[in-house]
Amino acid sequence: MLALQLVINGILLGGLYVLLAQSLNLIFGVMGVVNLAHGSFIVVAGLFTYWFTIRSGVSPLVVLPMAFVAMGAVGAMVQRFLIEPLMRFGNRAELLSLMVTFGLSYVLVDLALQLWGSDFVSVPYLQSSWTIAGLAFNQALVIAGIFAAAISAALYAWLNFTLSGKALLAASQSPVGAICCGIDVGRVRLVAFALGVGLAAAAGVLVIIVTPLAPETADDFTLLAFVIIALGGLGNYLGVAAAALVLGLVQSAAGYFLGGNAEYVFPYVLLLGVMVVQPQRFRRAAA
Amino acid sequence: MAPRRRSIFLRTRRAPGLVLAGAALILGMNAARAAPPIVVGTTISETGPLAADALFQLRGEQLAIAKANAAGGWLGRRIVLKYYDDKSSPGTAVRLYQRLITEDKADLLLGPYSSLVTVAIAPLINKYKMATLEPGASVPTIYVPGNKWNIQTVASSTTYLHQLLPLARKDGAKTVALLGLQSAFTLACDQARTAQAKSLGLKIVYSTTYALPQPDFSSIALAIKNARPDVVLACTYYPDAVGITRALHEQGYAPRYLGETVGPVEPAFIAALGPLANRILSNTSWWPNFKTPGNRTFIADYRKKFAGMPDYHAAAGYSAVEVLGAAVKATHSLDQGTLRKWLLEHTVQTVQGPYKVDANGRAVGATQDMVQIQNGVLKLVSPPALAQAKVLVPYTGS
Repeated sequence: MLALQLVINGILLGGLYVLLAQSLNLIFGVMGVVNLAHGSFIVVAGLFTYWFTIRSGVSPLVVLPMAFVAMGAVGAMVQRFLIEPLMRFGNRAELLSLMVTFGLSYVLVDLALQLWGSDFVSVPYLQSSWTIAGLAFNQALVIAGIFAAAISAALYAWLNFTLSGKALLAASQSPVGAICCGIDVGRVRLVAFALGVGLAAAAGVLVIIVTPLAPETADDFTLLAFVIIALGGLGNYLGVAAAALVLGLVQSAAGYFLGGNAEYVFPYVLLLGVMVVQPQRFRRAAA
Repeated sequence: MAPRRRSIFLRTRRAPGLVLAGAALILGMNAARAAPPIVVGTTISETGPLAADALFQLRGEQLAIAKANAAGGWLGRRIVLKYYDDKSSPGTAVRLYQRLITEDKADLLLGPYSSLVTVAIAPLINKYKMATLEPGASVPTIYVPGNKWNIQTVASSTTYLHQLLPLARKDGAKTVALLGLQSAFTLACDQARTAQAKSLGLKIVYSTTYALPQPDFSSIALAIKNARPDVVLACTYYPDAVGITRALHEQGYAPRYLGETVGPVEPAFIAALGPLANRILSNTSWWPNFKTPGNRTFIADYRKKFAGMPDYHAAAGYSAVEVLGAAVKATHSLDQGTLRKWLLEHTVQTVQGPYKVDANGRAVGATQDMVQIQNGVLKLVSPPALAQAKVLVPYTGS
C-alpha cells in the first residue's frame, strides 16, 4: 500500500513537472530560443489568477482559457518585437535570446511586484484528495496532471502530424531550407512562441492551486523546467514527459525514505548524472 | 539749513530689539544648519520570500521614528530612517550595510529582518563596532562570547512554540514528528524542540529538514501519516507552513496537535488555507491585549497610518527603536561604545515587553507566547494570565 501511494504521489508530482516543462520544451527544444522568462510567465499568470479569483469568486479553472489567450498574445508580441529581430544573427541568436529573455524576466518580475506585491499567495481551491481503495489522490495535482497529459499529447500530435507543426520543425532545423519550401518562417515562430507562452500561463494557473507563489519564485520554475527538459532531451516531447514522471517518482521515494533535503537535491543529482553519462541528449532533437 | 535726518535705524526705539531679533534669527538658522538629522540605517526585505513579514518590521520602525520626531527627536535632532531593500538576500544585505556604514555614515544602525540575513551581517557589525539592535534575529548563535556589537531585542528562536510539547505531554501525548526548514532560525528552533521532546520523554517518530523551493510535501506528509505522531511541530516560514498543512490534509492525516512557527500569524495564511488552518498553534512575541507601556497608542497609531492590525514583527521593529531612543537619551551620546555599554546594562519597557540582554547581547527579557487559529481568528492561548481562549484539541483540519 505504501509503495503504491508513493508511486501515485510520484506520478502526480511528475504530472506537474510535465506541465512546467513542455511549454519551455516547445520554445527552447524546438525553436532554440533560450527563454529565461519562462518562470516569470508562469508566476505572472498564477498571481493574476489569485488576484482575479479572490475578487470575482470564480473557480481558477475558469481563468485558465483567459490566461492562455491573454498571455499567448503577450508571447506573440514578445516574439515579434524582441525575439524575431535576433534571428538574423544566425548562430548567435540562441545566446542573444538568452540575454533578451533574461532582461524580460526581470521586467516581468518587477511588473508583478508592482501589481501584486511581494507576498506569497495561494488559491484555496482543491485542497483535498480523492480516496480510492484507501489511496489518496491529490485533487489539485490530478487536475494538473490531466492538463499536462492533454498538452503533451496535443503538442506531440501537432508537431508530428500537422502541416503547421511540421513547418515549425522544419523552420527550427533549417530556416533557409524552410523558406525555400515556401514556409513563412517568421509566422511559424510567432505561433510557436505564442503557444509556448500561453501554455506556460496555463501552467501558472494550475501551479498556484498547488503551491504558494510570489514574484521572486519565477527563477525556481525556470531552473526546474530546464532541468526536466535537459533530462528528457531537448525537443523530445515523449522524452520530457517520461523524464518528468521519473523525476516525480524519484523525488517521492527520496523524500519518503531519505527526507526533505534529498527530495530537494535529487533533480540536480540526476541532471549531473545524465550530463556525464549521456551528454549527447543536450543536442536539440526532433519531437 | 534743514536738520540732517537720522538713520531710520537710529530714529526708532525698536532698533535694538530689531537687531537682537535679526541676530537670533541668523543664529537659529545657523544652528539648524549645524544640527543634521540623526541617520538610523537599516536594510529590510522589501522583496523576496521574507518580504511578507519584513514589511511589518519596517512599518513598526517607521512608526516609532515618526513618534520620536513628533516628540522633538533625539538630542534635539530629527531622526531619519535610511533603508535599502536587501531582497531577502544575505549577500545583498552585507553590501548594503557596508554602504550604510562607510558611505552613508549612518549614526546608528538597526538590524535587518530574519536570522538568515542577520547572521550574514553580524561579523560586519562587529568589525565596524556599531552597537546594533537586532529586531529580526531570533537565532541564538549570533549572541555568543566574541560577539560584542549585535544586540538581540526579540526572544530567541529556541523559545518558539516552547509551550506546545509540555502541553501535549500533559494531555497524554507520547509521540512527536519534528520538521525544520533549512534556515538559521528554523534549524535553531528545530534543535531546541528536539532537545525538549527528549527531555519530556516524548518519542520522536519522524524528523526531517527540507529546503525551499519545495512544490510538494506529499512524501513528508505520507511519512508522518505512517508514523502517526500525536504532535506535529514544524519550524517554518510562510510558504512551507502552507505546503505542509495542505499535504497533511491531502494524505489524510490530522495529528492531535499541529504547531507551525512563522506563517500562521500572517493574515494570508488563513486566507490561503481556509478551514485547514483551524486549530493550528503558533507563537508570537506580542499581542494586542498586552498591558505594556504604550501598547494601545502603538496599535492606534499603526491602524491610523497603515490600516490593518500590526503583528509581532511590527512590535519588534517599534520596540527596537524605543530601546535605541532610550539609550541615546540616557547617554546623551551617539558614541557606539557608550551606547553599547548602556544597552547591555539596562532594562527598557517596550510595547512587546521588557528588553534586557545578557553580556553577549542575547535577549533574556523577551518571551514567546502561544496563539491558536480558532474559527478563522487568531486567539492568544498562553500565558494563562492573558489568554483569550483555551487551547482547542484535536486539530481537525476542518
